[in-house]
Amino acid sequence: MSAVSRRHVALAAAALAAPVILPRASLGSDVKIDLVHLFSGADHPVQRVIKAFNDKNVGVTVVSRQDGTTYETITQKAMSAIAAGRGPALMTTGWKLGDFARRTLGAQDFRQIFGPERTDALLARFRPQVRPLAAISGVPVGLPWSMSTPVLYINQALWTAAGLDPAAAPKTVEELHPMVRQLQERTGKQGLCYEVNEWLPQAFIQNAGGDVIDADGRPVMDSAAAVAGIEAFVQPRRDNLWRIMTIPEMLAAFQAGAIGVMATSSARQSVVRQAINFDLRLIQMPGLAGRPRRMNSGGNFLAVYSKAKEQQEGAYKFMEFLASREGFEIWLATGYLNVTTNDIPVRPGNEAAQAQMEAGLTSETIWPGSRGLEALTVHIDWIAKIVNGAVTVPEGLRGSRQAVEKLIAA
Amino acid sequence: MIAAWRKLGQSPWLFAGPAVVAAVAFVWLPMVATLGLSFFDWSLLRQEGTWRGLDHYRHTLANADFHLALVNTGVYLAALLPLQVGVPLVLAFALVRVRAKATGRLYRTALFAPSVLSFPVAAVVWLWLFNPTVGFLNTLVGSLGLPPQRWLSDPDLAIWSVIVVAFWKSFGLNLLIFLAALANVPSDVIEAARLDGAGAVRQAVQIELPLISPALFFAIVTTIIVVLDEIVGAVDVLTEGGPYRTSSNLLYFLYERGFRHFQFGEAAAVAVLIAAIVATVTWMQFHFGERHVHYD
Repeated sequence: MSAVSRRHVALAAAALAAPVILPRASLGSDVKIDLVHLFSGADHPVQRVIKAFNDKNVGVTVVSRQDGTTYETITQKAMSAIAAGRGPALMTTGWKLGDFARRTLGAQDFRQIFGPERTDALLARFRPQVRPLAAISGVPVGLPWSMSTPVLYINQALWTAAGLDPAAAPKTVEELHPMVRQLQERTGKQGLCYEVNEWLPQAFIQNAGGDVIDADGRPVMDSAAAVAGIEAFVQPRRDNLWRIMTIPEMLAAFQAGAIGVMATSSARQSVVRQAINFDLRLIQMPGLAGRPRRMNSGGNFLAVYSKAKEQQEGAYKFMEFLASREGFEIWLATGYLNVTTNDIPVRPGNEAAQAQMEAGLTSETIWPGSRGLEALTVHIDWIAKIVNGAVTVPEGLRGSRQAVEKLIAA
Repeated sequence: MIAAWRKLGQSPWLFAGPAVVAAVAFVWLPMVATLGLSFFDWSLLRQEGTWRGLDHYRHTLANADFHLALVNTGVYLAALLPLQVGVPLVLAFALVRVRAKATGRLYRTALFAPSVLSFPVAAVVWLWLFNPTVGFLNTLVGSLGLPPQRWLSDPDLAIWSVIVVAFWKSFGLNLLIFLAALANVPSDVIEAARLDGAGAVRQAVQIELPLISPALFFAIVTTIIVVLDEIVGAVDVLTEGGPYRTSSNLLYFLYERGFRHFQFGEAAAVAVLIAAIVATVTWMQFHFGERHVHYD
């Protein structure tokens, strides 16, 4: 038997003390999970929320992976990883891609991987009206983390220079349009700009009493109510109050102070505020006169794509943190809405969007079927044709319905 | 044994082997796989397919968006081929006649600079120039008393805006090719022409142009490939093929099928059709164009 030296004692003591002295991450025993997202910037709240979680050293390290700037781009990249059996633990998944995520990408059913009780416990941290939104065909496949809604952004300098009441908040587009006309005539700037996509027109269709796709998954965007909604959408274009442009052009022009009023997602607020030198006011998206308000939501949910148990458990721990008061308070700096039951003061600028959500929002249209994403593109094309005056509103919506019907049935 | 090694060492396969392996692995096998894929509805995730026969070809050929992409590709080709070959050719003839070396270098650098920029970087600048409300181009148009234009969102203008950016971005490469070719034209031939009384235009057209015809032919072939292929970057960044596919082209149509709609079988069929079109155009170029090229 050999003698025990001082070196042996020191080594043994160091080995015993290591778990206490060293942070868990440096021992290499942490589960590493990827969060695939589309948020740019080193100081974006997504980086801050990940850091806050990792600093807690709970045995899970979240790695931020920005794989693109659109939902489609990050989905493309995730597909090959999923095909190779190394799907990301978590990925921000656009609401509109919900059906595709479930059917094709294999977004995991929370009840199957976490069990019904833990799933309910996690989702119970979210407001009852938003819980169903992250369920595809009744299956909970995501954490309803990021929710936005269309609002009006007002250049307050132009608004007041036009002699308009600084606190005026038109409730309907019929009230809004004369104000926009006054702004345009008195300031010489463009009065209004809408996004040309499928999302903002959905708000007009719904507020007129219609739907894009009904509860049974049938395209109904050419109903009489939907036609009335899109007629209201394109009216400012006919009245020369709105000059059509792409979304990046619209944001740049608004930031440069060249547009009085812009309708877009409440989640763009942090980006818009980065480069403006005028007072910005956000108000709720106006509805249509004589019709009940029925605004839609947008944004994304967090879905789990990994099939490895360890990764799934890591994802659960991270999602628990995200849904906590601490985690969500960091996240709200994005401009997304507080959809949790956490009592967090509304951030300045978010009041209108938050109030719109409290009044109730519908989900973003989820495009069903294996060709759902193609159907979405086709619908946007028909909306663009209508807005550009290439077809009438009834012709365009009928064209969209017929094309979408074929693609959904394919 | 040594003899066998020596024999192997003299075999051409030893030298050609690595290139052949790379070509088979990265060019020929993917081409065959793409052809096979075009007959299936393929699920990338399940790695399984459903046999569809010629359905994808039928659907693609009957698709109005494919027709529009095909016509637009023709428009891109018809506009960009003369621009990207003709303008650099004229500029090259002018630049080789600039006597001051520093001035010549300055012109060359300035004209070639856009070619080294990536499309996303160039697009940031162009998106500002094209902005219908605060862009420089509409300020310019306004100063001429014309109404402001929607350069990227007007269905009649979007394709021409993309053409302008693609031309600005890519013409420098052909300029470089022509300058290199003109530098190699023997000076004694030019001298002889001058002594015979040939003016600058006659020298350029009847002496230099035939002598640089291999470079001209090379520029035409590569420009067609660039227009069919690389322009997709400009389309994606500036208009995403819109408004309503009016600025899309064949390759962007393929990209959308495969990577936006995730219809891989159909995208493979589109790829096969594009390959057939490119092969036909290239064959026509060599068949009808090469006879005018002087290699001696």
